[in-house]
Amino acid sequence: MSTANKEKVQMDPAYIIKLTVTLLVTCVIVAACLGGVNAITAEKIEAINKEKTEIAMKAVVADPDNTTFSDKLDLTDEMVAAAGSVTLDSVYEAQVNGQSAGHAIKVVASGSQGKIEMMVGVDAEGTVTGVSIVKNSETSGIGSKVMTNMPTAAGVGVLSQFEGKSAADGTLTVGANVDAISGATVSTRGVTNGVNAALAVAGVLG
Amino acid sequence: MNFGKQLKEGLITQNPVLVQVLGMCSTMAITTSIMNGLGMGVSVLIILTASNVVISAIRKIVPDKIRIAMFIVVIAGFVTCVDLLLQAFVPAIAESLGVFIPLIVVNCIILGRAESFSYKNGVGASFVDGICQGLGYTAVLLVMCFIRELLGAGTLAGFRIIPEQFPVGILTLPVGGFLVLGCLIAAMQWALSKSKEGK
Repeated sequence: MSTANKEKVQMDPAYIIKLTVTLLVTCVIVAACLGGVNAITAEKIEAINKEKTEIAMKAVVADPDNTTFSDKLDLTDEMVAAAGSVTLDSVYEAQVNGQSAGHAIKVVASGSQGKIEMMVGVDAEGTVTGVSIVKNSETSGIGSKVMTNMPTAAGVGVLSQFEGKSAADGTLTVGANVDAISGATVSTRGVTNGVNAALAVAGVLG
Repeated sequence: MNFGKQLKEGLITQNPVLVQVLGMCSTMAITTSIMNGLGMGVSVLIILTASNVVISAIRKIVPDKIRIAMFIVVIAGFVTCVDLLLQAFVPAIAESLGVFIPLIVVNCIILGRAESFSYKNGVGASFVDGICQGLGYTAVLLVMCFIRELLGAGTLAGFRIIPEQFPVGILTLPVGGFLVLGCLIAAMQWALSKSKEGK
Protein backbone atom coordinates (compact mmCIF):
# COMPACT_ATOMS: atom_id res chain seq x y z
CA MET A 1 0.00 0.00 0.00
CA SER A 2 1.27 3.38 -0.90
CA THR A 3 -0.28 4.95 2.21
CA ALA A 4 2.04 2.87 4.36
CA ASN A 5 5.02 4.66 2.87
CA LYS A 6 3.40 8.06 3.13
CA GLU A 7 5.14 10.37 5.54
CA LYS A 8 3.15 10.70 8.74
CA VAL A 9 2.01 14.24 9.48
CA GLN A 10 4.05 15.45 12.39
CA MET A 11 1.72 16.67 15.10
CA ASP A 12 4.40 17.47 17.65
CA PRO A 13 3.30 20.81 19.20
CA ALA A 14 6.86 22.08 19.42
CA TYR A 15 7.28 21.54 15.69
CA ILE A 16 4.03 23.30 14.84
CA ILE A 17 4.96 26.25 17.05
CA LYS A 18 8.33 26.41 15.34
CA LEU A 19 6.63 26.62 11.92
CA THR A 20 4.23 29.30 13.08
CA VAL A 21 6.89 31.42 14.72
CA THR A 22 9.22 31.20 11.72
CA LEU A 23 6.47 32.33 9.38
CA LEU A 24 5.34 35.05 11.76
CA VAL A 25 8.85 36.44 12.17
CA THR A 26 9.36 36.48 8.39
CA CYS A 27 6.10 38.34 7.87
CA VAL A 28 6.97 40.88 10.54
CA ILE A 29 10.38 41.55 9.02
CA VAL A 30 8.94 41.91 5.50
CA ALA A 31 6.15 44.16 6.76
CA ALA A 32 8.67 46.38 8.54
CA CYS A 33 10.71 46.76 5.33
CA LEU A 34 7.58 47.62 3.36
CA GLY A 35 6.61 50.20 5.95
CA GLY A 36 9.99 51.83 5.42
CA VAL A 37 9.67 51.92 1.65
CA ASN A 38 6.11 53.19 1.90
CA ALA A 39 7.23 56.03 4.17
CA ILE A 40 9.72 57.15 1.52
CA THR A 41 7.40 56.85 -1.47
CA ALA A 42 3.91 57.67 -0.17
CA GLU A 43 4.33 61.44 -0.37
CA LYS A 44 5.81 61.33 -3.87
CA ILE A 45 3.08 59.04 -5.21
CA GLU A 46 0.42 61.29 -3.72
CA ALA A 47 1.98 64.36 -5.36
CA ILE A 48 2.18 62.60 -8.74
CA ASN A 49 -1.46 61.50 -8.58
CA LYS A 50 -2.55 64.99 -7.61
CA GLU A 51 -0.60 66.50 -10.49
CA LYS A 52 -2.12 64.00 -12.93
CA THR A 53 -5.63 64.85 -11.76
CA GLU A 54 -4.81 68.55 -12.03
CA ILE A 55 -3.60 68.16 -15.63
CA ALA A 56 -6.70 66.14 -16.55
CA MET A 57 -8.93 68.82 -14.99
CA LYS A 58 -7.14 71.69 -16.72
CA ALA A 59 -7.68 69.93 -20.05
CA VAL A 60 -11.46 70.09 -19.71
CA VAL A 61 -12.14 73.66 -18.61
CA ALA A 62 -12.66 76.64 -20.89
CA ASP A 63 -9.94 78.83 -19.40
CA PRO A 64 -7.21 76.53 -18.04
CA ASP A 65 -4.69 79.29 -17.23
CA ASN A 66 -6.92 81.15 -14.79
CA THR A 67 -8.81 78.23 -13.30
CA THR A 68 -8.08 76.81 -9.88
CA PHE A 69 -9.72 73.73 -8.41
CA SER A 70 -11.24 73.06 -5.02
CA ASP A 71 -10.47 69.92 -3.05
CA LYS A 72 -12.64 66.89 -3.76
CA LEU A 73 -16.27 67.66 -2.96
CA ASP A 74 -18.18 65.23 -0.77
CA LEU A 75 -20.31 62.97 -2.92
CA THR A 76 -23.97 62.91 -1.95
CA ASP A 77 -26.29 59.95 -2.53
CA GLU A 78 -28.21 62.14 -4.96
CA MET A 79 -25.10 62.70 -7.10
CA VAL A 80 -24.23 59.02 -7.14
CA ALA A 81 -27.82 58.16 -8.08
CA ALA A 82 -27.76 60.71 -10.90
CA ALA A 83 -24.73 59.00 -12.44
CA GLY A 84 -26.80 55.83 -12.78
CA SER A 85 -24.89 52.83 -14.09
CA VAL A 86 -21.73 54.91 -14.49
CA THR A 87 -19.49 55.11 -11.42
CA LEU A 88 -19.00 58.62 -10.07
CA ASP A 89 -15.39 58.89 -8.90
CA SER A 90 -14.97 62.47 -7.73
CA VAL A 91 -16.15 66.02 -8.28
CA TYR A 92 -14.07 69.17 -8.08
CA GLU A 93 -15.31 72.73 -8.27
CA ALA A 94 -13.61 74.92 -10.86
CA GLN A 95 -13.05 78.51 -9.82
CA VAL A 96 -12.00 81.52 -11.90
CA ASN A 97 -10.93 84.50 -9.76
CA GLY A 98 -12.62 82.92 -6.77
CA GLN A 99 -15.94 82.64 -8.62
CA SER A 100 -17.46 79.22 -9.28
CA ALA A 101 -17.12 78.39 -12.96
CA GLY A 102 -18.59 74.92 -13.02
CA HIS A 103 -17.22 71.52 -12.12
CA ALA A 104 -14.71 68.93 -13.22
CA ILE A 105 -16.40 65.56 -12.82
CA LYS A 106 -14.48 62.30 -12.92
CA VAL A 107 -16.52 59.27 -13.90
CA VAL A 108 -15.72 55.66 -14.70
CA ALA A 109 -17.70 54.26 -17.64
CA SER A 110 -17.39 50.82 -19.20
CA GLY A 111 -15.81 50.57 -22.63
CA SER A 112 -15.37 47.56 -24.85
CA GLN A 113 -12.34 46.15 -23.00
CA GLY A 114 -12.71 47.50 -19.50
CA LYS A 115 -13.17 50.65 -17.52
CA ILE A 116 -12.72 54.09 -19.05
CA GLU A 117 -11.78 56.69 -16.44
CA MET A 118 -12.64 60.08 -17.80
CA MET A 119 -12.80 63.71 -16.70
CA VAL A 120 -15.69 65.83 -17.93
CA GLY A 121 -15.72 69.61 -17.54
CA VAL A 122 -19.15 71.23 -17.16
CA ASP A 123 -19.46 75.02 -16.83
CA ALA A 124 -21.82 76.94 -14.54
CA GLU A 125 -24.54 76.92 -17.26
CA GLY A 126 -24.42 73.13 -17.48
CA THR A 127 -22.60 73.01 -20.83
CA VAL A 128 -19.78 70.54 -21.47
CA THR A 129 -16.46 72.38 -21.80
CA GLY A 130 -14.29 69.38 -22.47
CA VAL A 131 -13.79 65.64 -22.13
CA SER A 132 -10.48 63.93 -21.48
CA ILE A 133 -9.59 60.32 -20.86
CA VAL A 134 -7.58 59.61 -17.74
CA LYS A 135 -7.14 55.87 -18.04
CA ASN A 136 -8.43 53.19 -20.40
CA SER A 137 -7.70 49.74 -21.73
CA GLU A 138 -9.45 49.96 -25.10
CA THR A 139 -8.07 47.94 -28.01
CA SER A 140 -4.96 49.53 -29.42
CA GLY A 141 -5.60 50.79 -32.94
CA ILE A 142 -9.42 50.51 -32.70
CA GLY A 143 -11.01 51.72 -29.47
CA SER A 144 -7.85 53.72 -28.78
CA LYS A 145 -8.88 56.03 -31.62
CA VAL A 146 -11.71 57.26 -29.45
CA MET A 147 -9.36 57.72 -26.49
CA THR A 148 -6.97 59.89 -28.52
CA ASN A 149 -9.78 62.06 -29.93
CA MET A 150 -9.42 61.03 -33.59
CA PRO A 151 -11.84 62.81 -35.94
CA THR A 152 -15.15 61.08 -36.80
CA ALA A 153 -16.58 60.94 -40.34
CA ALA A 154 -17.99 64.43 -39.69
CA GLY A 155 -14.41 65.71 -39.24
CA VAL A 156 -14.73 66.69 -35.56
CA GLY A 157 -12.65 64.98 -32.86
CA VAL A 158 -14.74 62.25 -31.28
CA LEU A 159 -14.18 63.72 -27.79
CA SER A 160 -14.37 67.33 -28.98
CA GLN A 161 -17.90 66.80 -30.35
CA PHE A 162 -19.23 66.78 -26.78
CA GLU A 163 -18.12 70.37 -26.19
CA GLY A 164 -21.12 72.69 -26.13
CA LYS A 165 -23.59 69.88 -25.42
CA SER A 166 -25.82 70.32 -22.39
CA ALA A 167 -28.75 68.67 -20.66
CA ALA A 168 -30.95 70.63 -23.12
CA ASP A 169 -29.75 68.28 -25.89
CA GLY A 170 -31.49 65.42 -24.12
CA THR A 171 -29.77 62.11 -23.50
CA LEU A 172 -26.77 61.86 -25.79
CA THR A 173 -26.95 58.73 -27.94
CA VAL A 174 -24.50 57.32 -30.45
CA GLY A 175 -26.11 57.43 -33.90
CA ALA A 176 -28.60 60.16 -32.96
CA ASN A 177 -26.70 63.18 -31.69
CA VAL A 178 -23.24 61.65 -31.25
CA ASP A 179 -21.01 60.37 -34.06
CA ALA A 180 -19.00 57.21 -33.43
CA ILE A 181 -15.63 56.28 -34.87
CA SER A 182 -16.33 53.47 -37.29
CA GLY A 183 -15.31 50.14 -35.74
CA ALA A 184 -15.23 51.66 -32.28
CA THR A 185 -18.93 52.11 -31.56
CA VAL A 186 -18.76 50.40 -28.17
CA SER A 187 -15.89 52.61 -26.99
CA THR A 188 -17.70 55.72 -28.23
CA ARG A 189 -20.86 54.58 -26.47
CA GLY A 190 -18.89 54.14 -23.23
CA VAL A 191 -17.59 57.71 -23.42
CA THR A 192 -21.09 58.98 -24.28
CA ASN A 193 -22.55 57.25 -21.20
CA GLY A 194 -19.83 58.92 -19.13
CA VAL A 195 -20.74 62.36 -20.48
CA ASN A 196 -24.46 61.77 -19.88
CA ALA A 197 -23.72 60.77 -16.30
CA ALA A 198 -21.52 63.83 -15.76
CA LEU A 199 -24.26 66.11 -17.11
CA ALA A 200 -26.78 64.48 -14.78
CA VAL A 201 -24.44 64.99 -11.83
CA ALA A 202 -23.88 68.61 -12.85
CA GLY A 203 -27.68 69.00 -12.93
CA VAL A 204 -27.86 67.87 -9.32
CA LEU A 205 -25.06 70.28 -8.36
CA GLY A 206 -26.99 73.11 -10.05
CA MET B 1 30.75 29.01 -9.26
CA ASN B 2 30.79 29.24 -13.01
CA PHE B 3 29.52 32.55 -14.31
CA GLY B 4 29.95 31.74 -18.01
CA LYS B 5 28.02 28.48 -17.76
CA GLN B 6 25.18 30.04 -15.77
CA LEU B 7 24.98 32.96 -18.20
CA LYS B 8 24.74 30.56 -21.14
CA GLU B 9 22.01 28.61 -19.34
CA GLY B 10 20.04 31.77 -18.54
CA LEU B 11 20.28 33.22 -22.02
CA ILE B 12 20.09 30.07 -24.14
CA THR B 13 19.98 26.47 -22.96
CA GLN B 14 17.76 27.08 -19.88
CA ASN B 15 16.16 30.32 -21.06
CA PRO B 16 13.24 30.98 -18.68
CA VAL B 17 10.79 31.95 -21.41
CA LEU B 18 11.79 30.03 -24.51
CA VAL B 19 12.99 26.76 -22.96
CA GLN B 20 11.42 26.52 -19.49
CA VAL B 21 8.28 28.28 -20.84
CA LEU B 22 7.72 30.22 -17.60
CA GLY B 23 6.22 33.66 -17.10
CA MET B 24 4.01 33.49 -20.19
CA CYS B 25 1.31 35.85 -18.96
CA SER B 26 3.51 38.88 -18.53
CA THR B 27 5.53 38.04 -21.62
CA MET B 28 2.41 38.06 -23.72
CA ALA B 29 0.76 41.08 -22.17
CA ILE B 30 3.41 43.75 -21.93
CA THR B 31 5.62 43.20 -24.97
CA THR B 32 3.96 45.85 -27.09
CA SER B 33 6.65 48.52 -26.75
CA ILE B 34 10.37 48.52 -26.07
CA MET B 35 10.04 50.76 -23.02
CA ASN B 36 7.50 48.39 -21.44
CA GLY B 37 9.73 45.42 -22.11
CA LEU B 38 12.76 47.13 -20.62
CA GLY B 39 10.83 48.28 -17.54
CA MET B 40 9.35 44.83 -16.94
CA GLY B 41 12.61 43.01 -17.67
CA VAL B 42 14.64 45.13 -15.29
CA SER B 43 11.97 44.90 -12.57
CA VAL B 44 11.95 41.11 -12.80
CA LEU B 45 15.76 41.02 -12.90
CA ILE B 46 16.00 43.02 -9.67
CA ILE B 47 13.25 41.12 -7.86
CA LEU B 48 14.58 37.74 -8.99
CA THR B 49 18.13 38.51 -7.91
CA ALA B 50 17.08 39.95 -4.55
CA SER B 51 14.69 37.13 -3.71
CA ASN B 52 17.21 34.52 -4.87
CA VAL B 53 19.83 35.95 -2.51
CA VAL B 54 17.49 36.20 0.47
CA ILE B 55 16.00 32.75 -0.03
CA SER B 56 19.41 31.20 -0.44
CA ALA B 57 20.60 32.97 2.72
CA ILE B 58 17.70 31.71 4.84
CA ARG B 59 17.44 28.25 3.23
CA LYS B 60 19.03 26.47 6.22
CA ILE B 61 16.57 27.90 8.75
CA VAL B 62 13.41 27.51 6.65
CA PRO B 63 11.45 24.40 7.66
CA ASP B 64 10.78 22.32 4.57
CA LYS B 65 7.02 22.18 5.16
CA ILE B 66 6.41 25.90 4.93
CA ARG B 67 9.08 26.83 2.40
CA ILE B 68 6.63 27.86 -0.34
CA ALA B 69 4.78 30.20 2.03
CA MET B 70 8.11 31.72 3.09
CA PHE B 71 9.19 32.16 -0.55
CA ILE B 72 5.96 33.93 -1.42
CA VAL B 73 6.21 36.30 1.54
CA VAL B 74 9.78 37.25 0.59
CA ILE B 75 8.92 37.64 -3.10
CA ALA B 76 5.77 39.64 -2.40
CA GLY B 77 7.80 41.96 -0.18
CA PHE B 78 10.29 42.72 -2.93
CA VAL B 79 7.58 43.11 -5.58
CA THR B 80 5.68 45.61 -3.46
CA CYS B 81 8.90 47.59 -2.87
CA VAL B 82 9.62 47.74 -6.59
CA ASP B 83 6.00 48.65 -7.33
CA LEU B 84 6.06 51.57 -4.88
CA LEU B 85 9.47 52.76 -6.09
CA LEU B 86 8.37 52.66 -9.75
CA GLN B 87 5.21 54.61 -8.95
CA ALA B 88 7.20 57.23 -7.09
CA PHE B 89 10.19 57.65 -9.38
CA VAL B 90 9.21 56.49 -12.89
CA PRO B 91 5.42 57.01 -12.99
CA ALA B 92 5.30 56.70 -16.80
CA ILE B 93 6.54 53.11 -16.70
CA ALA B 94 4.42 52.26 -13.66
CA GLU B 95 1.40 53.52 -15.58
CA SER B 96 2.00 51.52 -18.74
CA LEU B 97 2.87 48.29 -16.90
CA GLY B 98 -0.10 48.71 -14.58
CA VAL B 99 -1.20 45.54 -12.83
CA PHE B 100 1.62 43.46 -14.29
CA ILE B 101 4.10 44.73 -11.70
CA PRO B 102 2.10 43.44 -8.71
CA LEU B 103 1.53 40.24 -10.70
CA ILE B 104 5.28 39.54 -10.67
CA VAL B 105 4.53 37.95 -7.26
CA VAL B 106 2.94 35.03 -9.04
CA ASN B 107 5.37 35.01 -11.95
CA CYS B 108 6.51 31.42 -11.98
CA ILE B 109 10.06 32.32 -13.05
CA ILE B 110 10.73 33.70 -9.58
CA LEU B 111 9.09 30.95 -7.55
CA GLY B 112 10.54 28.42 -9.99
CA ARG B 113 14.10 29.62 -9.45
CA ALA B 114 13.57 29.82 -5.68
CA GLU B 115 12.44 26.21 -5.57
CA SER B 116 14.82 24.72 -8.13
CA PHE B 117 17.95 26.77 -7.57
CA SER B 118 18.38 29.14 -4.64
CA TYR B 119 16.86 26.71 -2.11
CA LYS B 120 19.66 24.28 -2.97
CA ASN B 121 22.62 26.56 -3.72
CA GLY B 122 24.79 29.13 -1.99
CA VAL B 123 24.23 32.89 -1.86
CA GLY B 124 26.85 33.73 -4.50
CA ALA B 125 25.61 31.19 -7.02
CA SER B 126 22.00 32.25 -6.41
CA PHE B 127 22.91 35.89 -6.98
CA VAL B 128 24.52 35.01 -10.31
CA ASP B 129 21.57 32.78 -11.19
CA GLY B 130 19.15 35.65 -10.54
CA ILE B 131 21.10 37.96 -12.83
CA CYS B 132 21.50 35.36 -15.59
CA GLN B 133 17.87 34.21 -15.58
CA GLY B 134 16.74 37.83 -15.36
CA LEU B 135 18.89 38.71 -18.37
CA GLY B 136 17.46 35.75 -20.28
CA TYR B 137 13.91 36.93 -19.53
CA THR B 138 14.71 40.54 -20.42
CA ALA B 139 16.40 39.51 -23.67
CA VAL B 140 13.35 37.58 -24.85
CA LEU B 141 11.03 40.43 -23.85
CA LEU B 142 13.13 42.88 -25.82
CA VAL B 143 13.18 40.68 -28.93
CA MET B 144 9.38 40.31 -28.74
CA CYS B 145 8.89 44.02 -28.11
CA PHE B 146 11.17 44.85 -31.02
CA ILE B 147 9.19 42.67 -33.42
CA ARG B 148 5.74 43.65 -32.13
CA GLU B 149 6.40 47.35 -31.81
CA LEU B 150 8.25 47.73 -35.11
CA LEU B 151 5.87 45.64 -37.23
CA GLY B 152 2.69 46.15 -35.20
CA ALA B 153 2.81 49.85 -34.41
CA GLY B 154 5.56 50.99 -36.78
CA THR B 155 7.57 52.63 -34.01
CA LEU B 156 10.65 51.84 -31.94
CA ALA B 157 10.82 53.23 -28.38
CA GLY B 158 8.15 55.69 -29.50
CA PHE B 159 9.90 56.94 -32.64
CA ARG B 160 8.06 56.33 -35.90
CA ILE B 161 10.01 54.08 -38.28
CA ILE B 162 7.27 52.81 -40.60
CA PRO B 163 4.61 55.25 -41.88
CA GLU B 164 1.30 55.01 -40.07
CA GLN B 165 -0.71 53.22 -42.76
CA PHE B 166 1.58 50.16 -43.14
CA PRO B 167 2.02 48.44 -39.74
CA VAL B 168 0.27 45.10 -39.09
CA GLY B 169 -1.95 46.17 -36.18
CA ILE B 170 -2.78 42.57 -35.22
CA LEU B 171 0.73 42.09 -33.85
CA THR B 172 0.02 44.46 -30.96
CA LEU B 173 -3.07 42.43 -29.99
CA PRO B 174 -2.86 39.27 -27.85
CA VAL B 175 -3.12 37.18 -31.04
CA GLY B 176 0.07 38.75 -32.30
CA GLY B 177 1.75 37.98 -28.99
CA PHE B 178 0.97 34.27 -29.35
CA LEU B 179 2.18 34.25 -32.96
CA VAL B 180 5.48 35.96 -32.20
CA LEU B 181 6.14 33.88 -29.07
CA GLY B 182 5.29 30.66 -30.90
CA CYS B 183 7.72 31.48 -33.69
CA LEU B 184 10.46 32.38 -31.21
CA ILE B 185 10.03 29.14 -29.23
CA ALA B 186 10.07 27.14 -32.46
CA ALA B 187 13.23 28.89 -33.64
CA MET B 188 14.86 28.28 -30.27
CA GLN B 189 14.00 24.57 -30.24
CA TRP B 190 15.28 24.22 -33.80
CA ALA B 191 18.56 25.94 -32.93
CA LEU B 192 19.00 23.83 -29.78
CA SER B 193 18.38 20.53 -31.55
CA LYS B 194 20.73 21.61 -34.37
CA SER B 195 23.53 22.33 -31.93
CA LYS B 196 22.91 18.98 -30.21
CA GLU B 197 23.24 17.15 -33.52
CA GLY B 198 26.47 19.03 -34.15
CA LYS B 199 27.98 17.45 -31.05
